[in-house]
Amino acid sequence: MRFASIFIVLFLSACSSNNQLEPEVKANTCDIQYTRYQATVTGYCQEVAASLPTNIPTIEKKIELRSITSIPEVFWYSSKMKYSLVKQDKKSPLAFVIAGTGASYSSSKMISLQKTLFQQGYHVISLSSPTFSNFIINLDSTTDFPGVLSQDAKNLYGIMQKVYQQVVNEDNLETTTFSLTGYSLGGAHAAYISKLDEDEKIFNFEKVVLINPPVSLYNSATILDSYLDLRESGRDAASAMLDDIFSAFAQSYASQKSSAFSHSSIYALFKDAELSEEELELLIGASFRMSSSDMLFALDVSYNLGGFIYKNQNISRFESVTNAMHRSHIVTFGQYFEKVVVPWQQESNPDLTREDLIEQLGLKNIESYLRHSDKISLVTNADDIILAEGEVAYLQDVFGSRAKVFERGGHCGNMDRKSFVEYMNNQFQGAK
Amino acid sequence: MYPFNLLLTRGITTFFLILLTACSSVPYSKGNTEEPRVKLPADYVEESILNNYADPWEGFNRRMYYFNAKADEYVLLPVVAGYKAVTPDILEIGISNFFSNLGEIPVFFNALLQAKPTVAAETFGRFAVNTTVGVFGLFDVATPIGLDEQNEDFGQTLGVWGIDAGPYLVLPLLGPSSLRDATGSAIDMLAFQAIIDELGMEGDEEIFLSLLSSIDTRASLPFRYYSSGSAFEYERLKILYMKYREIQIAR
Repeated sequence: MRFASIFIVLFLSACSSNNQLEPEVKANTCDIQYTRYQATVTGYCQEVAASLPTNIPTIEKKIELRSITSIPEVFWYSSKMKYSLVKQDKKSPLAFVIAGTGASYSSSKMISLQKTLFQQGYHVISLSSPTFSNFIINLDSTTDFPGVLSQDAKNLYGIMQKVYQQVVNEDNLETTTFSLTGYSLGGAHAAYISKLDEDEKIFNFEKVVLINPPVSLYNSATILDSYLDLRESGRDAASAMLDDIFSAFAQSYASQKSSAFSHSSIYALFKDAELSEEELELLIGASFRMSSSDMLFALDVSYNLGGFIYKNQNISRFESVTNAMHRSHIVTFGQYFEKVVVPWQQESNPDLTREDLIEQLGLKNIESYLRHSDKISLVTNADDIILAEGEVAYLQDVFGSRAKVFERGGHCGNMDRKSFVEYMNNQFQGAK
Repeated sequence: MYPFNLLLTRGITTFFLILLTACSSVPYSKGNTEEPRVKLPADYVEESILNNYADPWEGFNRRMYYFNAKADEYVLLPVVAGYKAVTPDILEIGISNFFSNLGEIPVFFNALLQAKPTVAAETFGRFAVNTTVGVFGLFDVATPIGLDEQNEDFGQTLGVWGIDAGPYLVLPLLGPSSLRDATGSAIDMLAFQAIIDELGMEGDEEIFLSLLSSIDTRASLPFRYYSSGSAFEYERLKILYMKYREIQIAR
C-alpha cells in the first residue's frame, strides 16, 4: 500500500464540508487536540459553526472563451469555462468570489462564501482559480502562467466582464454595486484585480476583502512542497507514515457504532487517530501535490510545454494518463518552476530574471497600492501555515487597521465558523 | 434456434470481450514528440505516490467510465431531476427509506456469513422496527432509538473470507467495482430478486419497483462524472474505491 491513504482522508474531509448532507450535525463542534495543521485539514471545528442557509439558489453557468475545436481531446469534458451565479430575487449588489489554488468555483470553501454573501443580500458570481484545470484549458492564451498575479488579474478581469454580460443577458441580473473577494491564492488575485480596476474603472469595486492570501506564492509553495519532500526525507518513511494513518482511520471506523459517515463520526476518526504534526503535514503536502499535479498536467497539455509529458503528443479521450500522473506526482512545484516556468517565461521576455518572476508571484509588488486603498480589507489567521516567518507582521503593517488577524484557524480552516462569518457580515453591508 | 435471451447474452458477452481486449495503455506515441524538460528518475513509477492497484483491464474500464458518464448525462441524471421535480420531498425520503429497509435483508445475511452476531442482531432489529412501527420501512424510526445503520454486502463477505479484490473493474451504469465485488453484487442482486419474488409481485409492478429503486439509488449519490475537473479523476476514483472497500472490510 502506497500513498493512497490520503484519498480516504480527502474523501472524508470532502464529506465533512458538504453542508447539504446533514445541516443539523454541522453545528457540532469537535474535541480534537488543536493544532494549526489540524485546523487546516479538518477545519477549525473547535469553534461553533456559523448559521448559514442550507440551500441557496445556484445557477450553473458555462461560457465559451476559446473555440471548442481547439480544446485538447484529453480534456474533452472541459470544453467551456464553468462558473456559478447565486441570484437574489431583486436588484442587489453583486460580489465576485475567486477560488484558491487548484480549486473550482464550487469547492466547499466557495460554497461557504456564497452562503455568507447571499445571506447578506448579495448576488454572487463564483469563478474557479486560474490554477484550476478547467480554467487553464479554457484560457485563450499561450504565454500566461497561472500565479503570475498581474497576468491572472488581467485574465480574470476580462472574464468577469464577459460572465457579467452573460448573466445580465441570460438571467436578467440587476445589480447596484460591485464587490470582490477571494480566499488563499484567490485573495491575492482580488488584490491585483482591484488595482487593475482603479485604471479600467469597469466595476469600481465598493469593497474588496482578501482572505488568507499568500504574501509570496513562491514561499508558500516551498512550504507546502517541503511537507511532502520525497527525495529529502525518504519516500519509504513517508509511505509507511501514510499506511499508519490509513490503518488508524480503518481501526477507528471499525470501532464506530454506525457504518454511516456524518460530521461527528469524521471528527471521531480524527480524534481516535491522534495524528502527529508530521502526519498532518504529510496529508496537507500530499493534497497540495495532487492539486499541483492537476494544474501542471493541464498546463503541459494546453500550452504543449513538454514539462513532464512529451511535447507534441496528442492524448486521446480513452488513452491512459496514469503514467503522466505518476510523473506529475514526483515533480515538486519548485522543480517545475526552475526547469519549466522560468525558461518558458524568458522565451517571451528575455530580460526577465528568476528573481523578478518570484516577485511577480506575490503581493509586495503592489504594496503601496494596498497600503493606501481604503476599500481593501484583509483577514487571515496568526497561525496560517502558508505564511513564512514575518509575513503575518508584514500584512499587519501594510493593511494597518484594515487587517483582521484571528488567533487560530490555520489556513482557511475557519471560513464557515461563527466569528469569521460575523467579520464578513461586517465587511459586506452593501445591501443594507 | 436459440431463444432470444440467450442470443442477447451472447451478444453482450462478445461486446464486453471486445472491449476487454481493446488495449489502450500505450505509454507514449512516437513521431515528432520531444522528451520532457523535467528529467525524472527511471523508476518514477515506483517513486510515484499513487502506484498501487494494478489495472490490467484499463482499456475496457476507461471506455466503460466514459460510457457511464454519457449515460449519466443523457439518461440517469435527467430522469433523477424529473423524479425530484414531481416527487414531494417527504415522499422522496419515504421511498428512499423503503428501499434502505429492504436492503437490510442482504445486510443481515451477510453479517451472519461474516460471523458478526451483533451487526446481524442490530440489523434485524432495525428491519423489525422499521417494517412495523415505520410502516413497511417508509419511516426510519430505528436510527433515533439507537439502532444504527450497518453496511454489509457479499463483496465484503468474500473479502472477510480472505478473497482478494482482484482487478479493478468499471461496471456498466453501476461504476467502480472489482472482480470480487462485481461477483458479490451479482449474488446480492439475485438475493434481492428472490425477496421481490417473495412479495408476490406481478411483472409490471416488479419492473416499476426496480426502476424506482435505481432512480432512488442514483438520486442519493452526489457523485458527478468529471466534476473534479482533474485529468486524473479515473485514477483517483479507482484508488478511492479500493481504499473505501478495504476500510469497510476491516470493519
